[in-house]
Amino acid sequence: MDNFQRKFLEEASDLINQLEQALLTLEQDTGNPELVDSIFRIMHSLKGGGGMFGFDNVTAYTHKLENMYDLVRQKKLKVTREMLDITFESADHITSMLNDDGSKTAEIKKNEEILNKRIDAILLGDNSGEIVVSRADEVTQVGVATYYVKVKPYEHIQKNGTNPFFLIDELVGLGQAKVNIFYSNIPDFENFVFDDTYIWWEIVISTDKNADAIRDVFIFVEDDCEVTIEKLADRDIFGLEGIEPLLVCRHDFPFDLDKIKSLVKAITALEKAKNESVLKVKENSGDEHIKKFAKESSISGIRVASEKIDMLMNLVSELITTQAGLNLYADRNKDAELTRIAESLENISRQLRDTAFSITLIPIDYLVVRFRRLVRDLSREVGKEIVFEAKGAETELDKTLIEGISEPLMHILRNSIDHGIESAEERVAAGKSPEGRITLQAYYSGSQVVIAVTDDGAGMNPTKIKRKAIEKGLISSDAQISDKEIIDLIFMPGFSTSEQVTNISGRGVGMDVVKRKVSDIRGTVQVSSQLGEGTTITIKLPLTLSIIDGMLVRIADVDYIIPLSVIDTIFAVEHSKIAAAFQNVINIEGTQYPFYYLRDEFGITENVPEKEEVIMVKYEDRKIGIVVDNITGEYQAVLKPLGKLYRKQDIFSGASILGDGTVALVLDTHKVINQFTKYNELN
Amino acid sequence: MAKTILIVDDSESIREVVNFTLQNAGFEVFAAGNGIEAQSFLDGRTIDLVITDLHMPEMDGIELIKYIRATSGYSRVPILFLTTESQLAKKIEAKDAGATGWIIKPFVPAKLLAAISKVIR
Repeated sequence: MDNFQRKFLEEASDLINQLEQALLTLEQDTGNPELVDSIFRIMHSLKGGGGMFGFDNVTAYTHKLENMYDLVRQKKLKVTREMLDITFESADHITSMLNDDGSKTAEIKKNEEILNKRIDAILLGDNSGEIVVSRADEVTQVGVATYYVKVKPYEHIQKNGTNPFFLIDELVGLGQAKVNIFYSNIPDFENFVFDDTYIWWEIVISTDKNADAIRDVFIFVEDDCEVTIEKLADRDIFGLEGIEPLLVCRHDFPFDLDKIKSLVKAITALEKAKNESVLKVKENSGDEHIKKFAKESSISGIRVASEKIDMLMNLVSELITTQAGLNLYADRNKDAELTRIAESLENISRQLRDTAFSITLIPIDYLVVRFRRLVRDLSREVGKEIVFEAKGAETELDKTLIEGISEPLMHILRNSIDHGIESAEERVAAGKSPEGRITLQAYYSGSQVVIAVTDDGAGMNPTKIKRKAIEKGLISSDAQISDKEIIDLIFMPGFSTSEQVTNISGRGVGMDVVKRKVSDIRGTVQVSSQLGEGTTITIKLPLTLSIIDGMLVRIADVDYIIPLSVIDTIFAVEHSKIAAAFQNVINIEGTQYPFYYLRDEFGITENVPEKEEVIMVKYEDRKIGIVVDNITGEYQAVLKPLGKLYRKQDIFSGASILGDGTVALVLDTHKVINQFTKYNELN
Repeated sequence: MAKTILIVDDSESIREVVNFTLQNAGFEVFAAGNGIEAQSFLDGRTIDLVITDLHMPEMDGIELIKYIRATSGYSRVPILFLTTESQLAKKIEAKDAGATGWIIKPFVPAKLLAAISKVIR
């Protein structure tokens, strides 16, 4: 599968999630034209993408559904329960078409025929009649069963020219499968024979073939390996709600067959109950309750007071600090056993830290609900048609960050609605669709969360911005700056190009405030804009505020911490080369990098080491060197705020207590660069 | 690059059927009439799979399998042998000699290719 196709599959699964979301809401509010529109739109995206990436069956099918919703849009049809049922099932159907590896084509076809008939019945206005065909999921299950297969080759299996991987491949080709690999039998290097086989496999496979077919795969190697086959269920278990965590392949940890079996059993029983109630009572809401019940029973969670979580976080923070102390002590004592214990304890502390953090995380969806409303209300107010779309709303962020990011995002959205998106007439004149579109997209990128707000509006006009900036005296009239730099001017305090101050944005709070608010929570804001095509504002945030993975560095025997997330590369450089550098630019491996020599900036001159380290940090889209004496190593720093007296300074974002009790200041490289650039310009 | 297969059988028709089927499936095929002839192919060129009959004049299949397993550079080459449903004892003998798998005669092209796909890709 090529990359594009994979991308589309990701998109498609997002779309299907949205579809389900919209359907759930539509179920409550069947007369809502906006929901119908958004369903129509989702279908349309699926249809378009399907055609481009080789899923012609998806295109053909969604086209039919689209027809149905088009009639609803035109008010020729009313939304009915049957219609919703079909669409829900269609979502599953489309998912299975997208994931089909060829093994299920027949069932999918069968399913589609049934759905098509039902759609036709609705299109023909035959909405009242009973559905004659049996329920689709019963049909698709015919003949499919799920097996557990354990394949444990004897060490010598390859001696006769057998490649066990081919067999696993062949087996997987019989249906949909999850393969778990066991490495634990691999001996150490001395005892390792290169063509002996030490690994073994566990496979859970849903297939329409029987156990004999599975056994046939291993026909040549009956005497060369141990094959166990066990039937788990008389149905396809992939895609069942709650099954996925049980099928996660964790090397060397076997699948929990009992759990899988009991889950499948429970779901099957539930479905049976649901089907029966559907058959018995027409137009009842019983199945909905069961649906809800099924959802609830598979998501188990508890509510905890936030003080308790804060308490837990504090304790974990203390633990991490104490752990660092233990590591240091073990290191100094050169006691192998102590080191081993310290290391395994560290492993546990890390996991505990990560788990504790995941508890404090809230999905961005929490904000999206508010934004949806905001966009709806504001766009009405300014008389523009705007579609708001949130992607990756399940991305999770620290509670504090969610609170901190809400206002800046709100402001960005306001800007997009007010200045970004043009009026319907302007849009049509520019050859765009009359309704504007704002997309909020959130995703993880390394240890950061990226939130991007994109509008397909007019974009920013560099000429206009430059003129304004000159008028306001922000830059001199002969300043030679690039378009990108011009656009960055909107982050300057007190900047607003809006022709007239409107009710919504343009009321004194500018992008500079957004930038400040975001950097308060250690984030960065970037803007990119294409005149006539739209604007994207990208916010990057750390995953959490209180603990950072850092690099411990030293300058003149004092420890500092640089967040690992900003470090790109590190080079060791002779001091003479730095001393000889012209205009703070150094040539490393053929590239010129600007750098800051922290000893100079801090005013430390004594005991200059011969060799120094240049740490390349990411600054906007460039790399800038920060020169320190030496590097001690990686360090998990528990961030503590600085005392009142030091609040005013900018370049340290906090401090951390090291294992030996000394304090290390955490460098905010971004601000280091900003501050020293300004300082150097002044001098 | 196309995988190379050496078919060893004293029956010309079998050789031709196999040759035709495999060439159509995109393999490069060499053919030999018996074990002695087959040996001359194992002179350093890449052979990805050997398919051999068991009953042949001069040098039979079992001997050829043993020879291949003992020849450096070819000792891990997959070997499939042609056999009939009734020859159970021979099957065990051939497996013990180092064969990877077997193809039951008579066979249709699909069956031949299915057996091959179990041992080379």
